[in-house]
Amino acid sequence: MNIFQASNCPAWKFLNDFCVIVLGYFLKKKNLLPYLEFLQEENGLQAIVPVVNSNGATCFEELSKENSENLFLDSKAFFSAKKFFLPNREREFLFEKKAASFEIHETIKHRHKVLFGLRSCDLHALNALDKVFLDFYGYDSLYRNKRNTVLTIGLECLKPEKNCFCESFGTSKPDFFDLFFWEKKDGFFVEIGSPEWEKLYCKKFFEKTRENRNSQKENCSLKLETKNIAELLEKNFENPVWEKESEKCLSCSSCTQICPTCYCFAIEDFFIPGTEDSERYREWDSCQLQQFTRINAGIFRQSRKSRLRQFVMHKLSFFRQQHNVHLCVGCGRCIDACPAKISLVEIASQIQKNPIGAD
Amino acid sequence: MHQFESPLKPELAEIIRVKEETPFLKTFTVRFLDKKKQKQFSFIPGKFVMASVFGFGEMPISISSSPYQKDSLQLTVNAVGNISRQMHLLGKGSVVGLRGPFGRGYPIQKFRKKNIIFFSGGCGMASMRSAVYAVNAKKELFGKLFLFHGCKSPQELLFAEDIAKWEKEQNFNVFVSVDKPTPDWKGNSGFVTDLIDKVDFPVENTFVLMCGPQAMMNIAIEKFRKHGFKPEQIFASLERLMHCGIGKCGHCNIGKEYVCVHGPVFSGSELEKMHLREG
Repeated sequence: MNIFQASNCPAWKFLNDFCVIVLGYFLKKKNLLPYLEFLQEENGLQAIVPVVNSNGATCFEELSKENSENLFLDSKAFFSAKKFFLPNREREFLFEKKAASFEIHETIKHRHKVLFGLRSCDLHALNALDKVFLDFYGYDSLYRNKRNTVLTIGLECLKPEKNCFCESFGTSKPDFFDLFFWEKKDGFFVEIGSPEWEKLYCKKFFEKTRENRNSQKENCSLKLETKNIAELLEKNFENPVWEKESEKCLSCSSCTQICPTCYCFAIEDFFIPGTEDSERYREWDSCQLQQFTRINAGIFRQSRKSRLRQFVMHKLSFFRQQHNVHLCVGCGRCIDACPAKISLVEIASQIQKNPIGAD
Repeated sequence: MHQFESPLKPELAEIIRVKEETPFLKTFTVRFLDKKKQKQFSFIPGKFVMASVFGFGEMPISISSSPYQKDSLQLTVNAVGNISRQMHLLGKGSVVGLRGPFGRGYPIQKFRKKNIIFFSGGCGMASMRSAVYAVNAKKELFGKLFLFHGCKSPQELLFAEDIAKWEKEQNFNVFVSVDKPTPDWKGNSGFVTDLIDKVDFPVENTFVLMCGPQAMMNIAIEKFRKHGFKPEQIFASLERLMHCGIGKCGHCNIGKEYVCVHGPVFSGSELEKMHLREG
């Protein structure tokens, strides 16, 4: 039995958390690209890497000859890797008309992937999605089949950006990865996180090392006190801060689109033109849009205030009550993306300063 | 790599009968094409199914037939949206998709030897009918039964035949109220919630089951509470937009609850903790 197969057991986790020295390898910086190409060519994995795309935005794309020079390793990518698990738009079923009845075809399409360059916050975001889609009143097959075929390689974040606040949620410490690359001089210390790691092993590039994972990470300047925040927000459902902050809100749904943990989706049918066949698609939806809660009797979250409150409270309170983790990982992408400069941290800390019913 | 089957895949079902109840409401009797599936299908009143009209979409519909009816099930559909209007165009022999049942129904098991008040408004009668059927089939197990039902006008009265039948039964007190009565209407008029103050019913050992518009239920819960009902004695079924029915898509989220998996039936004590207004 391989020692790493024990990595799921609590005792191993405990040792791993408190030992300074962990088993691992060293990968030279100049070997990074050849290593990724090796995974793609030799191991037959589709390598997804953070790049600067042709529009100048940083996002995750499949590694190709064209974009291999544009690898983006300085900080977290603006667009998270969410779309590889929850694509913007995805076909679920094809309903083929057969005489008076129908034949239902399920979409089965996936390739084994390796996701390189996920930051600690991205890994924690993936864990939050797992809670919803793998084990909450049953699983979702589209997500589960994708998740099962993805291997993750994390990458250490040395310098947090101005809107990062991962330390507040404890998501600055990486977890839930197959391999994790710690930044070292001239290379990376490769930490092993799961039994699946063997699929990513490469004898040619992985060297034995006496290095370990000491982190040189700088602290985030943005901070949020997260102790008891779920209960506090629940008590402050009618706090005037919501009204005040929502006056700026455009309900554009940028925050939910960019958020690595926002998962709400809509299911819609479309006819294939010229036929009686139809397709059922799953698309991203957003709680910031008015139609999100519309039924015949009316719209439940009519006001901007109620929709902004839903976003913030789902992140910081509701999800915590359901799954015992926050749905926010402190990546700050919603703050980066908001055209009205609304900040989740700002709202939460204003409520902490002026709570209602606190005596 | 093992492929996991989709929990969202609909089962094919055939419409075997269509009954026009009111100008906007039709009851579809449907049967699964797969005989085994039809045999296995069982539900607790208050649960719902996701019904697909292929090419138009999928919608949550509560089951209005008796849980003891095994050879088919009935869906009462109000033509208000794109999918439900399209469903109204379908006739006998058309094939639709069904999956479910989903959610948590009325905890009828708990009501043994207790009095039950069924309280419904408008098309809330659909899921209530299923509950009444379930209780009525084993009437000797329960105490006194009451039915309060309200609708806009006499011609919009849903399941009038069933109601007339229940009125004649012993130990079953039926009160129907119409918001805007026509000259030939002989029953009560005004809001159904006004009946709570007019009718005499026991409070001890009584449970209230509720389904209808949110505004009606809010007032009704308030009135029942004034009459001395504890929150645990009240069960109300909520209506929300739903796309998946399995607690994933996020549309029916209210606070920490998902109406599709934790509901649609919530007890009064759960409802008290929920942000029902704009939540």
